[in-house]
Amino acid sequence: MKTNRSIVLSIAATGLLGFAACGTTFPPQDLVNARTAFARANSGPTPKSDPADLHSAKEQLDLAEASYAKDGDTQYTRDQSYLAVRKTELAEVVGRTRQSDKEKNGVVNAMHADEKQAVASTSAELGRTRTQLANQNVAYVAQGTALKDEKSRRQDAEKRAAQASADLAKFATVKQDPRGMVITLSGSILFESAKWDLLPSAQLKLNDVATALIKEDPLSKMVVEGYTDSQGGVSYNQELSQHRAQAVRDYLVTRGIAGDRITAQGFGLTHSIADNKSPEGRANNRRVEIVVQPTNPTLSLR
Amino acid sequence: MYRSLISLVIMVPLLGACGASVPPPTQRLADAQSATRSARELGANNEPSAQLSLKLADEQISQAQKAINDGDNKRAESLLVRAKADAELAVAQSRERGAKIAGQVAVDNSAAQETTNFNQGAER
Repeated sequence: MKTNRSIVLSIAATGLLGFAACGTTFPPQDLVNARTAFARANSGPTPKSDPADLHSAKEQLDLAEASYAKDGDTQYTRDQSYLAVRKTELAEVVGRTRQSDKEKNGVVNAMHADEKQAVASTSAELGRTRTQLANQNVAYVAQGTALKDEKSRRQDAEKRAAQASADLAKFATVKQDPRGMVITLSGSILFESAKWDLLPSAQLKLNDVATALIKEDPLSKMVVEGYTDSQGGVSYNQELSQHRAQAVRDYLVTRGIAGDRITAQGFGLTHSIADNKSPEGRANNRRVEIVVQPTNPTLSLR
Repeated sequence: MYRSLISLVIMVPLLGACGASVPPPTQRLADAQSATRSARELGANNEPSAQLSLKLADEQISQAQKAINDGDNKRAESLLVRAKADAELAVAQSRERGAKIAGQVAVDNSAAQETTNFNQGAER
């Protein structure tokens, strides 16, 4: 009902205006402009960048269209159309402004991201340097420990050697020569004349020797060397010295010296250390020497 | 609502030259002038598109003032509605220029920073 009446009234109004405008049916230029502007904005980026202002522009255009539909080309229609053009342009401008802001923020954010990246890579580098330093430290400590171990091992060995020498000095001659540590045992305390069976008293002495030798560096090698005086033939003395050395060697093995560390060798009447013309000299020449060879040099400190 | 609007539309042509019965649009004049002031303060005269919108607004305001003096308040109202819309557009256009400048400054800073980073990288 209401609509009907409005239509009737509009027709009446249009009729009145229609007379004045000589019956032209073309829409006013402002309305055409408004339609064109809105269509342009609506197909561009504005619906996304500034939908609110574009919506206002649409409402304004609708107002202008409604006014034109009802009343035709009135001043009011033209004003509303003009407003629709301006509102559309406003929406476009605001949309572009927002887009610029967004791009600016993007650039600023990217800039901050760059800064963060730089900070991150610097701190990563710092972390790597720290780890390197820590590893180096660990290596130094390990080296220090190894050095200390080696040192204490050597000190132990020296201490053991000193102790062994002191023990042996009680009944044997102990000296250092190029072959190593040489323990010289007099033949008279070990064997009866022309025999190679150990005397019972000799066994007690050799127990002490074995005990001392066990205290020696466990890596050292030993040679038991037998010597005689010049009485008797060369081959006889060679055989006698060999058997005596072997007897001492075998006994020491039974006392706990590892068999693979100790060998026996007879030298007969050679390598005499005293004059064979006197009884004292011959007594000195009848002897057994235990040579403790120095530890393999490659195992000592660099 | 519609009826009163329509009756107004019908009445206006009937009233014809009796423009004096429409009160002077002083509020609209103040609104339009306020909007042009805002546009000027935002630097509308530094941005060609804003400058044009502002010029249109100013011209229509002075035409409206002349119309008010002539007693044609109806025409003055119409001009002022348009002037205000032009001035508001000028405001938005001035802001767009500001955003463009800020964006350019950001881009320049970024480029400057990249140069600095590059130089630092070269020093390392």
